[in-house]
Amino acid sequence: MRLDALERYADLDAPLQRLDARLKLVVAVVYVVAVVATPVGWWGTLAAEGLLMAFLVGLSGVPPRELAVRWLGFLVLFGFLTMMVAPARPERAGHGLAVVALTLLAKDTLAFLATVLLVQVTPFRTLLAAMRRLGVPAVLVSTLQFMYRYLFVLTEELDRMVTARRARTFRRSGRLDWGLLTGLVGVLFLRAFERGERVHAAMLARGWDGTVRTLD
Amino acid sequence: MHIPNAVLDPKVALATGVLGAAGLAYSLRMVEKRLGERTTVLMGTMAAFVFAAQMVNFPLGPLAISGHLLGGVLAAVMLGPWAGAVVIAAVLIVQCLLFGDGGLTALGANFLNMGLIGAAGGYAIYAPIRRAIGGRGGVIVGGMAAAWFSVLLASGAFSVELAASGHRRDFVRILSWMTLVHAAIGLGEAVITGLVLRFILLTRPDLVYQADASAAAEPAEAPTRLAAWFQVAVAGLGVALAVATFLAPFASEHPDGLEFVVGEKLGLLKDEAPATLPVPIPEYELKLFGPDAVGAATAAAGIVGTLVVFVVAALLARVVSRTGRDEPAPTAPGGISAHAA
Repeated sequence: MRLDALERYADLDAPLQRLDARLKLVVAVVYVVAVVATPVGWWGTLAAEGLLMAFLVGLSGVPPRELAVRWLGFLVLFGFLTMMVAPARPERAGHGLAVVALTLLAKDTLAFLATVLLVQVTPFRTLLAAMRRLGVPAVLVSTLQFMYRYLFVLTEELDRMVTARRARTFRRSGRLDWGLLTGLVGVLFLRAFERGERVHAAMLARGWDGTVRTLD
Repeated sequence: MHIPNAVLDPKVALATGVLGAAGLAYSLRMVEKRLGERTTVLMGTMAAFVFAAQMVNFPLGPLAISGHLLGGVLAAVMLGPWAGAVVIAAVLIVQCLLFGDGGLTALGANFLNMGLIGAAGGYAIYAPIRRAIGGRGGVIVGGMAAAWFSVLLASGAFSVELAASGHRRDFVRILSWMTLVHAAIGLGEAVITGLVLRFILLTRPDLVYQADASAAAEPAEAPTRLAAWFQVAVAGLGVALAVATFLAPFASEHPDGLEFVVGEKLGLLKDEAPATLPVPIPEYELKLFGPDAVGAATAAAGIVGTLVVFVVAALLARVVSRTGRDEPAPTAPGGISAHAA
């Protein structure tokens, strides 16, 4: 998985990208809640929400194709869970199974697009700063900041380890080599833990007292 | 299993959201108290680790699918229950926002299932087993049993949330399906967790979380009565769910009787009852082998799974403790073998 593709459009000079991150975060949450709370059979509301989403996608400059590809990745999960819940929904009595299932699928799709679009038009670091200013506990936000900082470092480290393992082992793929793979996970854990300790020591040396200070 | 947005009823989403937020606030406070200014750095790198570790795919033999580590119990065993829950919360938030994996409105439910029940609850199962067996073997057997039960417990909580979003009488059907699937997933989780723990015990045993390490310095914080009761409660819940898993199939043979009792005697389902009359058949569409076979398979999976987890755990524990004996005892303060004595 290429993680660096996540924010490809976040720094574009487009209308949505220029908005305040706090506004975008609040609007996205309100939109998702509104979509989820839309009752079955309110076609007008659902259509309006869909149109709004299409408008926002158009405004954002993110190619719809890219969003569609990511949505397809989740379609199986959405479909499976929809078929699991839809027969049990009380609304089925009035609308029939197909209508209920399609409504659930549409709601999942719109809410999914809203969250993915939010990150596509807002750099994650800006989003986290906005969360902090909206009152999310500082410990959680800075945990997320550190996580985001080392996410890419660790996935790249994992990539290098996988490459190194491939270069040294001659195995048919698909064999049950769980011993090797758990070794990989174990080494990754040790490296992550020790990196955390090293970073912490280095930060202490520079006067770290537990609060993150940023320039913006 | 990350719940998407529309799967849960808004009322259920709200209730689980409030519960999840309260649980996260409590976990954050506990972690801060223990780690101080180390908190965010260590939690951040550990969350990044769990995220990266979930990308390592474990091939499932001849099948064309593969599984991966969930990491809740592993995080709790290495960092302690509350830090484990916070790590899972960070992973869930990033997966939700960056990848759209798991709904924004279902974050509370997902954290409840995987963070509070999966990691902190898993620790409550792990801790007594580790204390009872002791040493490196205790860590591995406890960790594997906790991994297996935490996946089952999380799927049980998921079933409750799903059932609360629809007809309550579907609970047994959903529960037996979910636990059947998650009995297999939990088996993988237990084996991976056990192997990774074994690896860590052989290389850096001093890193395993010591609940008593701080208690020695600060006697007031010795396992409080509340914590002990909490552990007993969660362990009891785990056993109850395992029993329910085995009993569910026998109950589901008579879903109409159950529905009759609940509907008529308690009057809970009266308004929903007409819905069942016009189309009773689609309910059973998913049951490829018929209701009885699914029930039997669920029960069998539960029994076989528990047995396999304990046999593999015992084998792994033996391997590690034999290797451990040959080596000089780890000299790091608070090491495992010191604890076992």
